[in-house]
Amino acid sequence: MAELDAFNLITSLLFLSSGLFLGWSLGANDASNVFGSAVGSRMLRFSTAALLCSLFVILGAVTAGAGASAGLGALGAVNALAGSFTTALAAALTVAFMTRAGLPVSSTQAVVGAIVGWNWFSGSRTDTTQLWRIVATWVICPLLAAAFAALLYRLGVLWIRWRRPHLLRLDAGLRLGLILAGIFGSYSLGANNIGNVMGVFVHASPFSRVSLGAGLSISSTQQLFLLGGLAIAVGVFTYSRPVMTTVGASLMTLSPLGALVVVLANALVLFLFSSEPLAVALSSLGLPPLPLVPVSSSQAVIGAVLGLGLLQGGRGVRQIRWGVLARIASGWVTTPVLAAVLGFVLLFVVQNVFGQQVVQPVDHPLPMPLR
Amino acid sequence: MANHSPALFAKTRLLEARLEEFLDKVSEGGIYFQRGMALLLERGVGPEAEAKLQQLIALKERCNELRRAVVSTLYTEMLIPDFRGDVLRLLSHLYGLLDSIKNAVQEFLIEYANAVIITGPPGEVGELVAVVTQSVEAAVQGSRALFRNPDAVRDHINHIRVYESEADGITLRLKSALFASDRPLEQKLLGRDALAAIDGLADLAEEISDELSILAIKRVL
Repeated sequence: MAELDAFNLITSLLFLSSGLFLGWSLGANDASNVFGSAVGSRMLRFSTAALLCSLFVILGAVTAGAGASAGLGALGAVNALAGSFTTALAAALTVAFMTRAGLPVSSTQAVVGAIVGWNWFSGSRTDTTQLWRIVATWVICPLLAAAFAALLYRLGVLWIRWRRPHLLRLDAGLRLGLILAGIFGSYSLGANNIGNVMGVFVHASPFSRVSLGAGLSISSTQQLFLLGGLAIAVGVFTYSRPVMTTVGASLMTLSPLGALVVVLANALVLFLFSSEPLAVALSSLGLPPLPLVPVSSSQAVIGAVLGLGLLQGGRGVRQIRWGVLARIASGWVTTPVLAAVLGFVLLFVVQNVFGQQVVQPVDHPLPMPLR
Repeated sequence: MANHSPALFAKTRLLEARLEEFLDKVSEGGIYFQRGMALLLERGVGPEAEAKLQQLIALKERCNELRRAVVSTLYTEMLIPDFRGDVLRLLSHLYGLLDSIKNAVQEFLIEYANAVIITGPPGEVGELVAVVTQSVEAAVQGSRALFRNPDAVRDHINHIRVYESEADGITLRLKSALFASDRPLEQKLLGRDALAAIDGLADLAEEISDELSILAIKRVL
Protein backbone atom coordinates (compact mmCIF):
# COMPACT_ATOMS: atom_id res chain seq x y z
CA MET A 1 0.00 0.00 0.00
CA ALA A 2 1.27 3.47 -0.88
CA GLU A 3 2.45 5.83 1.83
CA LEU A 4 -0.41 7.79 3.37
CA ASP A 5 -0.45 11.45 2.51
CA ALA A 6 -2.11 14.00 4.80
CA PHE A 7 -5.47 13.89 3.03
CA ASN A 8 -5.58 10.11 3.02
CA LEU A 9 -4.58 10.07 6.68
CA ILE A 10 -7.44 12.39 7.62
CA THR A 11 -9.88 10.35 5.51
CA SER A 12 -8.63 7.13 7.06
CA LEU A 13 -8.94 8.53 10.58
CA LEU A 14 -12.44 9.72 9.72
CA PHE A 15 -13.36 6.22 8.62
CA LEU A 16 -11.71 4.74 11.71
CA SER A 17 -13.67 7.12 13.96
CA SER A 18 -16.56 4.68 14.51
CA GLY A 19 -14.10 2.03 15.73
CA LEU A 20 -12.32 4.60 17.86
CA PHE A 21 -15.68 5.56 19.37
CA LEU A 22 -16.30 1.89 20.19
CA GLY A 23 -12.84 1.86 21.80
CA TRP A 24 -13.58 4.98 23.83
CA SER A 25 -16.88 3.47 24.97
CA LEU A 26 -15.13 0.21 25.92
CA GLY A 27 -12.53 2.10 27.96
CA ALA A 28 -15.21 4.18 29.68
CA ASN A 29 -17.35 1.17 30.65
CA ASP A 30 -15.14 -1.90 30.97
CA ALA A 31 -12.20 -0.43 32.88
CA SER A 32 -14.44 -0.64 35.93
CA ASN A 33 -14.52 -4.43 35.55
CA VAL A 34 -10.78 -4.63 36.14
CA PHE A 35 -9.98 -1.71 38.43
CA GLY A 36 -13.43 -0.79 39.76
CA SER A 37 -13.12 -2.51 43.12
CA ALA A 38 -9.63 -1.07 43.76
CA VAL A 39 -10.69 2.49 42.87
CA GLY A 40 -14.26 2.30 44.21
CA SER A 41 -12.97 1.23 47.61
CA ARG A 42 -10.26 3.94 47.49
CA MET A 43 -7.46 1.40 47.61
CA LEU A 44 -5.90 2.82 44.49
CA ARG A 45 -5.97 6.37 43.17
CA PHE A 46 -7.96 6.75 39.96
CA SER A 47 -4.99 8.29 38.13
CA THR A 48 -2.76 5.31 38.99
CA ALA A 49 -5.47 2.81 38.02
CA ALA A 50 -6.16 4.64 34.74
CA LEU A 51 -2.45 4.73 33.88
CA LEU A 52 -1.93 1.03 34.64
CA CYS A 53 -5.15 0.06 32.87
CA SER A 54 -4.29 2.09 29.74
CA LEU A 55 -0.72 0.81 29.55
CA PHE A 56 -1.67 -2.84 29.85
CA VAL A 57 -4.74 -2.57 27.61
CA ILE A 58 -2.48 -1.19 24.84
CA LEU A 59 0.16 -3.85 25.55
CA GLY A 60 -2.46 -6.63 25.42
CA ALA A 61 -4.04 -5.22 22.27
CA VAL A 62 -0.79 -4.82 20.33
CA THR A 63 0.96 -8.02 21.43
CA ALA A 64 -1.91 -10.48 21.83
CA GLY A 65 -4.94 -8.98 20.12
CA ALA A 66 -4.59 -10.91 16.89
CA GLY A 67 -6.17 -14.16 18.12
CA ALA A 68 -9.59 -12.89 19.17
CA SER A 69 -9.68 -10.42 16.29
CA ALA A 70 -9.00 -13.22 13.77
CA GLY A 71 -11.82 -15.22 15.36
CA LEU A 72 -14.18 -12.35 14.65
CA GLY A 73 -12.69 -11.91 11.17
CA ALA A 74 -13.49 -15.54 10.38
CA LEU A 75 -17.15 -14.60 10.65
CA GLY A 76 -16.88 -12.03 7.91
CA ALA A 77 -13.98 -10.10 6.41
CA VAL A 78 -15.20 -6.54 5.92
CA ASN A 79 -12.89 -5.53 3.06
CA ALA A 80 -13.62 -1.85 2.35
CA LEU A 81 -12.75 0.95 4.73
CA ALA A 82 -16.16 2.65 4.36
CA GLY A 83 -17.79 -0.73 4.98
CA SER A 84 -15.71 -1.21 8.14
CA PHE A 85 -16.65 2.29 9.27
CA THR A 86 -20.35 1.60 8.73
CA THR A 87 -20.19 -1.82 10.39
CA ALA A 88 -18.49 -0.39 13.48
CA LEU A 89 -20.93 2.55 13.46
CA ALA A 90 -23.90 0.14 13.40
CA ALA A 91 -22.42 -1.69 16.40
CA ALA A 92 -21.71 1.56 18.25
CA LEU A 93 -25.22 2.92 17.61
CA THR A 94 -26.75 -0.38 18.76
CA VAL A 95 -24.74 -0.23 22.00
CA ALA A 96 -25.74 3.41 22.51
CA PHE A 97 -29.43 2.70 21.81
CA MET A 98 -29.57 -0.38 24.05
CA THR A 99 -27.76 1.46 26.86
CA ARG A 100 -30.12 4.42 26.57
CA ALA A 101 -33.09 2.04 26.64
CA GLY A 102 -31.66 0.53 29.84
CA LEU A 103 -31.21 -2.88 28.26
CA PRO A 104 -28.16 -5.07 28.95
CA VAL A 105 -25.82 -4.93 25.99
CA SER A 106 -22.43 -6.24 25.03
CA SER A 107 -20.32 -4.59 22.33
CA THR A 108 -19.17 -8.08 21.23
CA GLN A 109 -22.73 -9.08 20.41
CA ALA A 110 -23.33 -5.79 18.60
CA VAL A 111 -20.16 -6.19 16.51
CA VAL A 112 -21.06 -9.80 15.63
CA GLY A 113 -24.53 -8.68 14.52
CA ALA A 114 -23.07 -5.81 12.49
CA ILE A 115 -20.63 -8.16 10.70
CA VAL A 116 -23.50 -10.52 9.87
CA GLY A 117 -25.33 -7.43 8.57
CA TRP A 118 -22.35 -6.66 6.33
CA ASN A 119 -22.27 -10.29 5.08
CA TRP A 120 -25.99 -10.01 4.37
CA PHE A 121 -25.58 -6.72 2.50
CA SER A 122 -22.50 -7.79 0.53
CA GLY A 123 -23.89 -11.21 -0.29
CA SER A 124 -20.96 -12.88 1.47
CA ARG A 125 -21.48 -16.23 3.08
CA THR A 126 -21.70 -16.22 6.89
CA ASP A 127 -19.71 -19.07 8.36
CA THR A 128 -22.49 -20.57 10.48
CA THR A 129 -20.08 -22.90 12.31
CA GLN A 130 -18.05 -19.87 13.42
CA LEU A 131 -21.26 -17.97 14.21
CA TRP A 132 -22.56 -20.72 16.48
CA ARG A 133 -19.12 -21.04 18.04
CA ILE A 134 -19.22 -17.33 18.89
CA VAL A 135 -22.82 -17.50 20.14
CA ALA A 136 -21.84 -20.45 22.34
CA THR A 137 -19.15 -18.30 23.97
CA TRP A 138 -21.83 -15.84 25.12
CA VAL A 139 -23.26 -18.62 27.26
CA ILE A 140 -19.95 -20.29 28.13
CA CYS A 141 -18.22 -17.05 29.16
CA PRO A 142 -20.39 -16.20 32.21
CA LEU A 143 -20.63 -19.88 33.15
CA LEU A 144 -16.87 -20.25 32.99
CA ALA A 145 -16.43 -17.06 35.02
CA ALA A 146 -18.88 -18.44 37.62
CA ALA A 147 -16.93 -21.71 37.81
CA PHE A 148 -13.57 -19.88 38.10
CA ALA A 149 -14.92 -17.55 40.75
CA ALA A 150 -16.36 -20.41 42.82
CA LEU A 151 -13.13 -22.41 42.54
CA LEU A 152 -10.82 -19.47 43.28
CA TYR A 153 -12.94 -18.40 46.24
CA ARG A 154 -12.91 -21.91 47.72
CA LEU A 155 -9.14 -22.14 47.25
CA GLY A 156 -8.70 -18.69 48.79
CA VAL A 157 -10.81 -19.58 51.83
CA LEU A 158 -8.96 -22.89 52.29
CA TRP A 159 -5.61 -21.12 52.09
CA ILE A 160 -6.66 -18.45 54.60
CA ARG A 161 -8.02 -21.07 57.02
CA TRP A 162 -4.83 -23.10 56.67
CA ARG A 163 -2.30 -20.27 56.94
CA ARG A 164 -4.34 -17.98 59.21
CA PRO A 165 -2.52 -14.82 58.12
CA HIS A 166 -2.77 -11.74 60.29
CA LEU A 167 -5.64 -9.57 59.13
CA LEU A 168 -3.26 -6.76 58.21
CA ARG A 169 -1.07 -9.04 56.12
CA LEU A 170 -4.15 -10.58 54.49
CA ASP A 171 -5.47 -7.16 53.58
CA ALA A 172 -2.07 -6.01 52.31
CA GLY A 173 -1.99 -9.16 50.16
CA LEU A 174 -5.52 -8.53 48.91
CA ARG A 175 -4.67 -4.94 48.02
CA LEU A 176 -1.62 -6.08 46.09
CA GLY A 177 -3.66 -8.90 44.55
CA LEU A 178 -6.32 -6.46 43.37
CA ILE A 179 -3.71 -4.30 41.68
CA LEU A 180 -2.00 -7.30 40.02
CA ALA A 181 -5.35 -8.82 39.00
CA GLY A 182 -6.32 -5.39 37.61
CA ILE A 183 -3.12 -5.32 35.54
CA PHE A 184 -3.73 -8.88 34.30
CA GLY A 185 -7.36 -8.01 33.61
CA SER A 186 -6.34 -4.89 31.65
CA TYR A 187 -3.90 -6.91 29.55
CA SER A 188 -6.56 -9.57 28.87
CA LEU A 189 -9.18 -6.89 28.16
CA GLY A 190 -6.89 -5.33 25.57
CA ALA A 191 -6.00 -8.71 24.03
CA ASN A 192 -9.59 -9.90 23.89
CA ASN A 193 -11.72 -6.85 23.23
CA ILE A 194 -9.52 -5.04 20.71
CA GLY A 195 -11.23 -7.35 18.19
CA ASN A 196 -14.50 -5.54 18.93
CA VAL A 197 -12.88 -2.16 18.44
CA MET A 198 -10.65 -2.72 15.43
CA GLY A 199 -11.50 -6.24 14.21
CA VAL A 200 -13.74 -5.03 11.37
CA PHE A 201 -10.95 -2.77 10.05
CA VAL A 202 -8.25 -5.48 9.81
CA HIS A 203 -9.06 -6.51 6.22
CA ALA A 204 -9.38 -2.88 5.09
CA SER A 205 -6.52 -1.37 7.06
CA PRO A 206 -5.28 1.93 5.65
CA PHE A 207 -1.84 1.35 7.20
CA SER A 208 1.18 -0.50 5.90
CA ARG A 209 3.95 -2.30 7.77
CA VAL A 210 6.44 0.11 9.35
CA SER A 211 10.03 -0.90 9.97
CA LEU A 212 11.43 0.24 13.31
CA GLY A 213 14.98 -0.81 12.47
CA ALA A 214 17.09 -3.53 14.08
CA GLY A 215 14.87 -6.14 12.43
CA LEU A 216 11.80 -4.88 14.26
CA SER A 217 8.64 -3.88 12.48
CA ILE A 218 5.05 -3.13 13.35
CA SER A 219 2.35 -4.61 11.12
CA SER A 220 -0.67 -2.72 9.82
CA THR A 221 -2.92 -4.73 12.17
CA GLN A 222 -0.70 -3.86 15.15
CA GLN A 223 -0.89 -0.18 14.16
CA LEU A 224 -4.68 -0.48 14.09
CA PHE A 225 -4.65 -2.17 17.47
CA LEU A 226 -2.33 0.49 18.88
CA LEU A 227 -4.77 3.15 17.72
CA GLY A 228 -7.69 1.17 19.17
CA GLY A 229 -5.75 0.73 22.42
CA LEU A 230 -5.15 4.47 22.59
CA ALA A 231 -8.89 5.07 22.06
CA ILE A 232 -9.62 2.69 24.95
CA ALA A 233 -7.05 4.57 27.06
CA VAL A 234 -8.76 7.89 26.26
CA GLY A 235 -12.07 6.30 27.33
CA VAL A 236 -10.45 5.14 30.60
CA PHE A 237 -9.03 8.56 31.40
CA THR A 238 -11.99 10.67 30.33
CA TYR A 239 -15.07 8.78 31.39
CA SER A 240 -14.39 5.66 33.45
CA ARG A 241 -14.06 7.42 36.81
CA PRO A 242 -17.80 7.64 37.68
CA VAL A 243 -18.36 4.09 36.40
CA MET A 244 -15.43 2.81 38.47
CA THR A 245 -16.61 4.48 41.64
CA THR A 246 -20.23 3.27 41.33
CA VAL A 247 -19.56 -0.23 40.00
CA GLY A 248 -16.52 -0.60 42.24
CA ALA A 249 -18.44 0.41 45.33
CA SER A 250 -21.22 -2.07 44.56
CA LEU A 251 -18.66 -4.81 43.91
CA MET A 252 -17.13 -4.11 47.29
CA THR A 253 -20.34 -5.13 48.98
CA LEU A 254 -18.65 -8.47 48.41
CA SER A 255 -15.90 -9.33 50.88
CA PRO A 256 -12.41 -8.09 49.90
CA LEU A 257 -11.55 -11.68 48.90
CA GLY A 258 -14.76 -11.89 46.85
CA ALA A 259 -13.86 -8.66 45.01
CA LEU A 260 -10.40 -10.01 44.17
CA VAL A 261 -11.84 -13.31 42.97
CA VAL A 262 -14.34 -11.55 40.68
CA VAL A 263 -11.62 -9.43 39.05
CA LEU A 264 -9.35 -12.48 38.67
CA ALA A 265 -12.09 -14.72 37.23
CA ASN A 266 -12.97 -12.01 34.70
CA ALA A 267 -9.30 -11.62 33.71
CA LEU A 268 -8.84 -15.40 33.36
CA VAL A 269 -11.90 -15.77 31.14
CA LEU A 270 -10.81 -12.90 28.87
CA PHE A 271 -7.32 -14.41 28.73
CA LEU A 272 -8.64 -17.89 27.84
CA PHE A 273 -10.65 -16.50 24.93
CA SER A 274 -7.71 -14.54 23.54
CA SER A 275 -4.51 -16.49 24.18
CA GLU A 276 -3.14 -18.19 21.08
CA PRO A 277 -0.34 -20.05 22.94
CA LEU A 278 -2.94 -21.44 25.36
CA ALA A 279 -5.17 -22.59 22.49
CA VAL A 280 -2.16 -24.33 20.89
CA ALA A 281 -1.23 -25.92 24.24
CA LEU A 282 -4.79 -27.21 24.75
CA SER A 283 -4.82 -28.66 21.23
CA SER A 284 -1.47 -30.36 21.77
CA LEU A 285 -2.89 -31.97 24.92
CA GLY A 286 -5.82 -33.30 22.88
CA LEU A 287 -8.25 -30.95 24.64
CA PRO A 288 -10.81 -28.91 22.69
CA PRO A 289 -9.40 -25.37 22.40
CA LEU A 290 -11.67 -22.51 23.33
CA PRO A 291 -12.55 -20.32 20.34
CA LEU A 292 -10.48 -17.15 20.23
CA VAL A 293 -13.18 -14.50 20.01
CA PRO A 294 -13.99 -11.31 21.90
CA VAL A 295 -16.26 -11.95 24.90
CA SER A 296 -18.18 -9.59 27.15
CA SER A 297 -16.17 -8.51 30.18
CA SER A 298 -19.28 -7.21 31.96
CA GLN A 299 -21.08 -10.53 31.52
CA ALA A 300 -17.99 -12.36 32.79
CA VAL A 301 -18.14 -10.19 35.93
CA ILE A 302 -21.85 -10.93 36.37
CA GLY A 303 -21.08 -14.65 35.94
CA ALA A 304 -18.33 -14.45 38.56
CA VAL A 305 -20.59 -12.70 41.09
CA LEU A 306 -23.23 -15.33 40.34
CA GLY A 307 -20.66 -18.06 41.00
CA LEU A 308 -19.92 -16.56 44.42
CA GLY A 309 -23.66 -16.33 45.13
CA LEU A 310 -24.19 -19.98 44.23
CA LEU A 311 -21.36 -20.96 46.60
CA GLN A 312 -23.54 -19.76 49.48
CA GLY A 313 -26.14 -22.41 48.61
CA GLY A 314 -29.85 -21.71 49.04
CA ARG A 315 -29.31 -18.26 50.55
CA GLY A 316 -27.19 -17.22 47.57
CA VAL A 317 -29.68 -18.64 45.05
CA ARG A 318 -32.50 -16.66 46.67
CA GLN A 319 -30.45 -13.45 46.37
CA ILE A 320 -29.95 -13.87 42.62
CA ARG A 321 -32.14 -11.57 40.58
CA TRP A 322 -33.22 -14.02 37.91
CA GLY A 323 -35.05 -11.24 36.03
CA VAL A 324 -31.72 -9.49 35.41
CA LEU A 325 -30.22 -12.73 34.07
CA ALA A 326 -33.22 -13.24 31.77
CA ARG A 327 -32.76 -9.70 30.44
CA ILE A 328 -29.07 -10.42 29.75
CA ALA A 329 -30.03 -13.64 27.90
CA SER A 330 -32.60 -11.71 25.88
CA GLY A 331 -29.80 -9.31 24.88
CA TRP A 332 -27.98 -12.27 23.28
CA VAL A 333 -30.76 -12.26 20.64
CA THR A 334 -31.94 -8.65 20.43
CA THR A 335 -28.47 -7.02 20.28
CA PRO A 336 -27.08 -8.92 17.25
CA VAL A 337 -30.42 -8.82 15.39
CA LEU A 338 -30.72 -5.05 15.91
CA ALA A 339 -27.06 -4.51 14.92
CA ALA A 340 -27.45 -6.67 11.78
CA VAL A 341 -30.57 -4.82 10.61
CA LEU A 342 -29.06 -1.41 11.44
CA GLY A 343 -25.81 -2.40 9.70
CA PHE A 344 -27.70 -3.43 6.57
CA VAL A 345 -29.64 -0.15 6.49
CA LEU A 346 -26.56 2.02 7.16
CA LEU A 347 -24.50 0.20 4.53
CA PHE A 348 -27.29 0.83 2.02
CA VAL A 349 -27.34 4.54 2.96
CA VAL A 350 -23.56 4.99 2.91
CA GLN A 351 -23.26 3.22 -0.44
CA ASN A 352 -26.24 4.78 -2.19
CA VAL A 353 -26.57 8.20 -0.57
CA PHE A 354 -22.92 9.04 0.16
CA GLY A 355 -21.54 7.08 -2.78
CA GLN A 356 -18.91 5.23 -0.71
CA GLN A 357 -17.62 1.80 -1.60
CA VAL A 358 -18.61 -0.41 1.33
CA VAL A 359 -17.79 -3.74 -0.34
CA GLN A 360 -14.72 -4.65 -2.35
CA PRO A 361 -15.62 -7.15 -5.06
CA VAL A 362 -13.73 -10.39 -4.53
CA ASP A 363 -13.02 -12.91 -7.24
CA HIS A 364 -13.70 -16.41 -6.04
CA PRO A 365 -11.88 -18.62 -8.54
CA LEU A 366 -13.94 -21.66 -9.45
CA PRO A 367 -12.33 -25.00 -9.09
CA MET A 368 -11.10 -26.60 -12.31
CA PRO A 369 -13.84 -28.70 -13.90
CA LEU A 370 -13.29 -32.42 -13.61
CA ARG A 371 -12.53 -34.13 -16.88
CA MET B 1 12.36 4.28 63.63
CA ALA B 2 14.23 4.65 60.36
CA ASN B 3 13.22 7.52 58.13
CA HIS B 4 13.12 5.50 54.95
CA SER B 5 9.84 3.87 54.00
CA PRO B 6 10.01 0.09 54.39
CA ALA B 7 8.56 -2.25 51.78
CA LEU B 8 4.85 -3.15 51.78
CA PHE B 9 5.04 -6.31 53.90
CA ALA B 10 7.80 -4.93 56.16
CA LYS B 11 5.48 -2.07 57.04
CA THR B 12 2.67 -4.55 57.62
CA ARG B 13 4.87 -6.56 59.98
CA LEU B 14 5.78 -3.40 61.88
CA LEU B 15 2.11 -2.53 62.24
CA GLU B 16 1.28 -6.08 63.32
CA ALA B 17 3.96 -5.87 66.02
CA ARG B 18 2.54 -2.56 67.26
CA LEU B 19 -0.99 -3.93 67.36
CA GLU B 20 0.16 -7.01 69.27
CA GLU B 21 2.04 -4.82 71.74
CA PHE B 22 -1.04 -2.64 72.14
CA LEU B 23 -3.18 -5.69 72.98
CA ASP B 24 -0.48 -7.00 75.34
CA LYS B 25 -0.54 -3.70 77.20
CA VAL B 26 -4.34 -3.72 77.60
CA SER B 27 -4.09 -7.30 78.87
CA GLU B 28 -1.34 -6.28 81.31
CA GLY B 29 -3.63 -3.46 82.45
CA GLY B 30 -6.17 -6.08 83.55
CA ILE B 31 -3.51 -7.92 85.55
CA TYR B 32 -2.27 -4.73 87.26
CA PHE B 33 -5.88 -3.84 88.08
CA GLN B 34 -6.45 -7.22 89.74
CA ARG B 35 -3.15 -7.01 91.63
CA GLY B 36 -3.77 -3.40 92.66
CA MET B 37 -7.25 -4.18 93.96
CA ALA B 38 -5.97 -7.25 95.80
CA LEU B 39 -3.32 -5.11 97.51
CA LEU B 40 -5.95 -2.52 98.41
CA LEU B 41 -8.24 -5.16 99.85
CA GLU B 42 -5.45 -6.82 101.82
CA ARG B 43 -3.33 -3.89 102.95
CA GLY B 44 -5.31 -0.73 102.17
CA VAL B 45 -3.78 2.33 100.48
CA GLY B 46 -0.01 1.99 100.49
CA PRO B 47 3.10 2.21 98.32
CA GLU B 48 2.44 -1.21 96.72
CA ALA B 49 -1.03 -0.23 95.51
CA GLU B 50 0.27 3.17 94.40
CA ALA B 51 3.03 1.43 92.44
CA LYS B 52 0.31 -0.45 90.52
CA LEU B 53 -1.32 2.87 89.65
CA GLN B 54 2.03 4.19 88.37
CA GLN B 55 2.42 1.03 86.27
CA LEU B 56 -1.07 1.57 84.85
CA ILE B 57 -0.29 5.22 84.02
CA ALA B 58 2.90 4.14 82.20
CA LEU B 59 0.93 1.45 80.33
CA LYS B 60 -1.68 3.97 79.29
CA GLU B 61 0.96 6.34 77.96
CA ARG B 62 2.63 3.57 75.95
CA CYS B 63 -0.77 2.45 74.62
CA ASN B 64 -1.54 5.99 73.57
CA GLU B 65 1.77 6.21 71.67
CA LEU B 66 1.10 2.87 70.00
CA ARG B 67 -2.44 3.81 69.11
CA ARG B 68 -1.32 7.07 67.49
CA ALA B 69 1.41 5.27 65.51
CA VAL B 70 -1.05 2.58 64.40
CA VAL B 71 -3.70 5.15 63.43
CA SER B 72 -1.37 7.15 61.17
CA THR B 73 0.10 4.08 59.43
CA LEU B 74 -3.27 2.37 59.14
CA TYR B 75 -4.89 5.39 57.57
CA THR B 76 -2.13 6.15 55.10
CA GLU B 77 -0.87 2.72 54.11
CA MET B 78 -2.73 -0.32 55.30
CA LEU B 79 -5.97 -2.22 55.25
CA ILE B 80 -8.94 -2.32 52.96
CA PRO B 81 -10.25 1.26 53.42
CA ASP B 82 -13.74 0.17 54.45
CA PHE B 83 -12.18 -1.76 57.31
CA ARG B 84 -9.80 0.93 58.58
CA GLY B 85 -12.47 2.82 60.50
CA ASP B 86 -13.70 -0.38 62.14
CA VAL B 87 -10.24 -1.32 63.41
CA LEU B 88 -9.56 2.19 64.65
CA ARG B 89 -12.87 2.23 66.53
CA LEU B 90 -11.97 -1.09 68.16
CA LEU B 91 -8.58 0.28 69.22
CA SER B 92 -10.26 3.37 70.65
CA HIS B 93 -12.64 1.21 72.68
CA LEU B 94 -9.77 -0.91 74.00
CA TYR B 95 -7.80 2.20 74.88
CA GLY B 96 -10.91 3.57 76.60
CA LEU B 97 -11.12 0.34 78.62
CA LEU B 98 -7.50 0.66 79.76
CA ASP B 99 -8.11 4.30 80.63
CA SER B 100 -11.13 3.30 82.73
CA ILE B 101 -9.08 0.61 84.49
CA LYS B 102 -6.48 3.22 85.42
CA ASN B 103 -9.18 5.64 86.52
CA ALA B 104 -10.85 2.96 88.67
CA VAL B 105 -7.60 2.21 90.53
CA GLN B 106 -6.91 5.93 90.86
CA GLU B 107 -10.41 6.56 92.27
CA PHE B 108 -9.99 3.73 94.74
CA LEU B 109 -6.71 5.23 95.95
CA ILE B 110 -8.13 8.74 96.26
CA GLU B 111 -11.93 8.73 96.61
CA TYR B 112 -12.81 5.22 97.76
CA ALA B 113 -9.80 4.62 99.99
CA ASN B 114 -12.11 3.70 102.84
CA ALA B 115 -14.89 2.31 100.71
CA VAL B 116 -13.06 -0.94 100.04
CA ILE B 117 -14.02 -2.12 103.48
CA ILE B 118 -17.53 -0.80 103.11
CA THR B 119 -18.30 -2.52 99.78
CA GLY B 120 -18.42 -5.98 101.27
CA PRO B 121 -16.30 -8.92 102.49
CA PRO B 122 -12.82 -8.81 100.79
CA GLY B 123 -13.41 -12.30 99.34
CA GLU B 124 -16.58 -11.29 97.55
CA VAL B 125 -15.15 -7.99 96.27
CA GLY B 126 -12.08 -9.93 95.12
CA GLU B 127 -14.44 -12.32 93.31
CA LEU B 128 -16.04 -9.34 91.52
CA VAL B 129 -12.59 -7.98 90.57
CA ALA B 130 -11.56 -11.43 89.25
CA VAL B 131 -14.67 -11.75 87.08
CA VAL B 132 -14.24 -8.21 85.74
CA THR B 133 -10.55 -8.92 84.97
CA GLN B 134 -11.58 -12.06 83.09
CA SER B 135 -14.03 -10.04 81.02
CA VAL B 136 -11.22 -7.60 80.14
CA GLU B 137 -8.93 -10.49 79.20
CA ALA B 138 -11.68 -12.06 77.05
CA ALA B 139 -12.10 -8.72 75.23
CA VAL B 140 -8.36 -8.66 74.47
CA GLN B 141 -8.43 -12.29 73.31
CA GLY B 142 -11.47 -11.61 71.13
CA SER B 143 -9.68 -8.65 69.55
CA ARG B 144 -6.59 -10.78 68.96
CA ALA B 145 -8.78 -13.48 67.37
CA LEU B 146 -10.31 -10.90 65.02
CA PHE B 147 -6.88 -10.29 63.52
CA ARG B 148 -5.93 -13.96 63.30
CA ASN B 149 -9.05 -16.09 63.21
CA PRO B 150 -12.36 -14.23 62.89
CA ASP B 151 -14.31 -17.49 63.22
CA ALA B 152 -13.09 -17.82 66.83
CA VAL B 153 -14.27 -14.33 67.87
CA ARG B 154 -17.74 -15.69 68.65
CA ASP B 155 -16.38 -17.87 71.50
CA HIS B 156 -14.66 -14.91 73.14
CA ILE B 157 -17.76 -12.72 72.74
CA ASN B 158 -19.75 -15.36 74.56
CA HIS B 159 -17.18 -15.44 77.40
CA ILE B 160 -17.30 -11.64 77.75
CA ARG B 161 -21.10 -11.71 78.03
CA VAL B 162 -21.04 -14.46 80.64
CA TYR B 163 -18.43 -12.61 82.73
CA GLU B 164 -20.37 -9.36 82.45
CA SER B 165 -23.53 -11.07 83.58
CA GLU B 166 -21.65 -12.68 86.49
CA ALA B 167 -20.20 -9.29 87.45
CA ASP B 168 -23.71 -7.80 87.48
CA GLY B 169 -24.90 -10.64 89.71
CA ILE B 170 -22.10 -10.20 92.22
CA THR B 171 -22.53 -6.41 92.23
CA LEU B 172 -26.26 -6.78 92.86
CA ARG B 173 -25.61 -9.16 95.73
CA LEU B 174 -23.01 -6.86 97.30
CA LYS B 175 -25.20 -3.77 96.85
CA SER B 176 -28.21 -5.51 98.39
CA ALA B 177 -26.11 -6.56 101.38
CA LEU B 178 -24.67 -3.06 101.68
CA PHE B 179 -28.05 -1.33 101.66
CA ALA B 180 -29.54 -3.93 104.02
CA SER B 181 -26.79 -3.14 106.55
CA ASP B 182 -27.09 -0.45 109.23
CA ARG B 183 -24.24 1.64 107.82
CA PRO B 184 -24.80 5.41 107.43
CA LEU B 185 -26.31 6.53 104.12
CA GLU B 186 -23.14 8.36 102.96
CA GLN B 187 -21.16 5.12 103.37
CA LYS B 188 -23.82 3.19 101.46
CA LEU B 189 -23.67 5.71 98.61
CA LEU B 190 -19.87 5.67 98.58
CA GLY B 191 -19.89 1.85 98.56
CA ARG B 192 -22.45 1.83 95.74
CA ASP B 193 -20.24 4.13 93.62
CA ALA B 194 -17.16 2.03 94.35
CA LEU B 195 -18.96 -1.14 93.20
CA ALA B 196 -20.23 0.66 90.09
CA ALA B 197 -16.65 1.70 89.24
CA ILE B 198 -15.56 -1.96 89.24
CA ASP B 199 -18.67 -3.35 87.52
CA GLY B 200 -18.51 -0.59 84.88
CA LEU B 201 -15.32 -2.14 83.49
CA ALA B 202 -17.22 -5.34 82.59
CA ASP B 203 -19.85 -3.19 80.88
CA LEU B 204 -17.10 -1.58 78.78
CA ALA B 205 -15.81 -5.06 77.89
CA GLU B 206 -19.33 -5.97 76.80
CA GLU B 207 -19.45 -2.90 74.52
CA ILE B 208 -16.25 -4.17 72.93
CA SER B 209 -17.89 -7.56 72.44
CA ASP B 210 -20.74 -5.87 70.53
CA GLU B 211 -18.18 -4.13 68.32
CA LEU B 212 -16.31 -7.40 67.80
CA SER B 213 -19.43 -9.30 66.80
CA ILE B 214 -20.09 -6.81 63.95
CA LEU B 215 -16.46 -6.83 62.82
CA ALA B 216 -16.34 -10.63 62.84
CA ILE B 217 -19.46 -10.83 60.63
CA LYS B 218 -17.81 -8.42 58.18
CA ARG B 219 -14.68 -10.55 57.99
CA VAL B 220 -16.14 -14.02 58.09
CA LEU B 221 -15.30 -16.04 54.96
